[in-house]
Amino acid sequence: MSILKNNIKAMDKKNTDILIKKRETLIGQFLSGDEPEFLKKHSSILDEYFLTVFEKSITARKMTMAKTPFAIIALGGYGRKEQCIHSDIDLLILFEKIVPPEVEAFLQELLYPLWDARFEVGYAVRNVSECLEIGFERFDVLTTILDARFICGASLIYTGFMEKFRSDLSGKHLKHTLNYLYEHGEKRHFDFGDSTYLIAPDLKSGFGGLRDYHTLLWYAKIKSGIKTRRDLEYYGFLSHFEYLSLTESLADIWKIRNFLHSITKRKCDTLYFEYQTELAGLLGYHSKNLQPDVERFLGDLHKRLDFLKQINQITYEDIYGTTRIGKGATGFHLTKIDGLVIKKRRLNFANTVAVLQKPDLLIKIFLESGLRKIPLSIEARRIVSEFSHLVDSKIKKDPDCIRIFKKIMSQSYWEFNVLNVMLATGILEKLIPEFSALVNKIQYNHYHLFPVDKHCIRCVQIINSFKDFKGSPTKSLYYSVFREVRNKNILFFTALLHDIGKSDPAKEHSKTGARIAKPIFERFGFNSTEVKDGVFLIENHLILIKTATRRDISDEETAVYMAHKIGKIRLLRMLYLLTVADSQATGPKAWNDWTENLLKDLFLKTMGIFKKGELASKKSQRLIDKRKKNVLRLLKEKWSENEIITQLEAMPKRYLVNVPAQSIAGHINLYRNLKGKDFIWQISKENNSDIRTVSICGKDKPGFYSKIAGVFFLNNLDIVASQAYSFGEEHVIDIFKVKPPKDRIFEKEKWEKAQKDLVHAIHDDHFLDNALIKIPHSIQVLSGKTPRPNTIRIDNETSSFFTIIEVFTYDFAGLLFAITNALYRSQLNVDVAMVATKVDQVVDVFYVKSLEHGSKIENEKGLSLVKNTILKSLPHITKKGDE
Amino acid sequence: MKKVEAIIKPFKLDDVKEALSEIGIYGMTVTEVNGYGRQKGHKEIYRGAEYVVDFVPKIKVEIVVSDERADEAIETVRNAANSGKIGDGKIFISNIEQVVRVRTGETGTEAL
Repeated sequence: MSILKNNIKAMDKKNTDILIKKRETLIGQFLSGDEPEFLKKHSSILDEYFLTVFEKSITARKMTMAKTPFAIIALGGYGRKEQCIHSDIDLLILFEKIVPPEVEAFLQELLYPLWDARFEVGYAVRNVSECLEIGFERFDVLTTILDARFICGASLIYTGFMEKFRSDLSGKHLKHTLNYLYEHGEKRHFDFGDSTYLIAPDLKSGFGGLRDYHTLLWYAKIKSGIKTRRDLEYYGFLSHFEYLSLTESLADIWKIRNFLHSITKRKCDTLYFEYQTELAGLLGYHSKNLQPDVERFLGDLHKRLDFLKQINQITYEDIYGTTRIGKGATGFHLTKIDGLVIKKRRLNFANTVAVLQKPDLLIKIFLESGLRKIPLSIEARRIVSEFSHLVDSKIKKDPDCIRIFKKIMSQSYWEFNVLNVMLATGILEKLIPEFSALVNKIQYNHYHLFPVDKHCIRCVQIINSFKDFKGSPTKSLYYSVFREVRNKNILFFTALLHDIGKSDPAKEHSKTGARIAKPIFERFGFNSTEVKDGVFLIENHLILIKTATRRDISDEETAVYMAHKIGKIRLLRMLYLLTVADSQATGPKAWNDWTENLLKDLFLKTMGIFKKGELASKKSQRLIDKRKKNVLRLLKEKWSENEIITQLEAMPKRYLVNVPAQSIAGHINLYRNLKGKDFIWQISKENNSDIRTVSICGKDKPGFYSKIAGVFFLNNLDIVASQAYSFGEEHVIDIFKVKPPKDRIFEKEKWEKAQKDLVHAIHDDHFLDNALIKIPHSIQVLSGKTPRPNTIRIDNETSSFFTIIEVFTYDFAGLLFAITNALYRSQLNVDVAMVATKVDQVVDVFYVKSLEHGSKIENEKGLSLVKNTILKSLPHITKKGDE
Repeated sequence: MKKVEAIIKPFKLDDVKEALSEIGIYGMTVTEVNGYGRQKGHKEIYRGAEYVVDFVPKIKVEIVVSDERADEAIETVRNAANSGKIGDGKIFISNIEQVVRVRTGETGTEAL
């Protein structure tokens, strides 16, 4: 017995050896360019193997004799005789009724040697009724059966099964199956996305991939029971020209796919970056012109994929028409445009003479196509390409054509994008010759998924998608921002042209692009303000995303800087939408929840700055500019001009708006003398009053402001007013107006002591505990008035950056220390403070951030905790005589 | 060996990278992450509608260093990620049992 087994094994090996050898020879011929019929022959070699094993198999014979004959059937791509080098081999072993246990042994003979030789073989063993049941249950099984082909065995089982299958399919299962086909296609597009223009396209499953052709074939098989690809034309699913284009496109894509399988040595259907150059070389792309071989290779491939995508549109439209006919499909067959006709749901020119007489039809046809969502026929596409020279300077200047083109842009949707067809037919380049430099231009990094031209068109599409209100809350933000954009045309144009500067990779593309785009805007009749807006948007189209990802957006200054740079709310709105579209159109590395959130945050915060006005207004900008000049004038002899300019740039706008130039100059001097010390201060006398101004520059450490207030309180220095600002990234400027000590003779000594105390306080968090004890528990206000209780008002809406705390109380010595100490103990940092006393009533305003996170206090619990902590730190207010 | 994982604010990445390369640490893994910590997201109002930024975008930097260099690396990250005023993120340190370089098969600190 074991000898017999060994013999069988040896025989099996011989069979696979023959298969492998034949296959290698065939692949060799194909790769050297001598085998145009590769797919068919490859399938036949496999057929031969199965036939030989079947014929020689004793187990197979036994099963047949035991009245359990079976058929070996090829499924899927193998069934269609479209077997690529490393495609899976799908088999069905079909029995009439009973599946005998011996089949296991037969499978061992048939498949084990193939698996040993590393073929990817998938199989199913079923009887007819099982097959029918599963087939109509599972779409993946159904489609493989549609492509089934008999290899060997009991042919009657195969024919009987197929008859039954077809009759069920055209009868009770027709509508259900077509619905399934439709929904499945939608799901596939959702899963794989539009890969027609991807730099690394999926040749099989992507939109525009081979699957689109399979779908058409399945649809035709389901609907009309066609047998082969050739029938697509005979049964009227495709026109003659469409069939020819399909054959050419498939031949090219299969060739590329086989080469890809060959160099990757596996079933790889995605044309990854790293293989492209090698493939371009293997496929015979050798430099003839300036454009790199890879770009020409991908350009050609995309034309093919684009065609399959078009086939897919036609298919889905047909399925839709078949399954949902009568539901709003009326009026589909008419066009009101003179010179255009609709035939078989494709848009056509009535005749070529019409095009010669009215060349504007070459543009009008796209608007009609977009508006009515009817694709151009293959013939119409060809005519557009061949007659595109008729789009001359006269047509380009024609206001009607310009209007039509602008309208086309606003009709460019995902499912149906006319701009792509305009690009493919060359008409877009005729209208905007500058666009030629971007065609098929690849950006070699892992960021961009699309060539530049397709990326730009996607941008336009995405902006159009903002018209929809569907989806996430952020989507609704795009929707409402888009609705507020008054001049949508300029936004669409900017989207199309934003990367026009990429023609020259050596230069900064935003700037170059702005320069190239300016005359284009002018040519299309935009007025001077619109041109200016467009140029600004292109030149700055990266600024929002760069700032969002590389700057601290929780810092108010970032948003203030943005608001100043952008200058106008309408530009901010457009820039935001353009940035979102640009990032989305680039790929998942550039666009994900993470970037979306950062960008949204920056947009809303900058918007907040615009709406509040105080820091972003032109008036404040003028004031700031004037102050900066004055500061420069005051300091230029002492410090280098560049250093002062840099320092002024780093200062918060709020500070520059509120502090006079003379004081700013003083603060810069202080800062420059700080030199590693914790702080440095300067005391000056006001001209006409007895008040001292203490300006303190120091390192920004938590609690610094509170400690100064505490030290003044400890030394009986009464604070009348105070302001606090951050000063550059790591320092602060605190300004205190203080009543001088009562004992004027030793004033100097008093200040020196205070200074020493501050040094202690900075290094010892408990140094001021003694001062805390001295804060009164209650204070009395003048009799005759009903005292107002201490009130804390928290404003969390006005600023995107700070929680604003307003404290209304009566003045007493140590008040500022009491409040700021409470804030410090609540883990809050005072970024800005405005403290002023009016007679005895006090309104102190603090802009605070959480010390831990550097952001506002967001939860209710935190807010009420802060409120209570401050209230507890304040003395009771009583009326005189109430005790 | 130690793995140092730092969660930092996005805009601090360049500073951290630069600081690490200054002490001779070039290899690191950088991931865009979303924080859902105690620091709750915040809301912004636009045209009356509330938009919640419900997680906080952060960057995770991971480096693996020899035990002797761990403290230096931690300190470097801490200094670079610190904006002075506020605590920016967190650093997690854990033990690494073994490191293997795929290409050469080297192990331990050799493979770092």
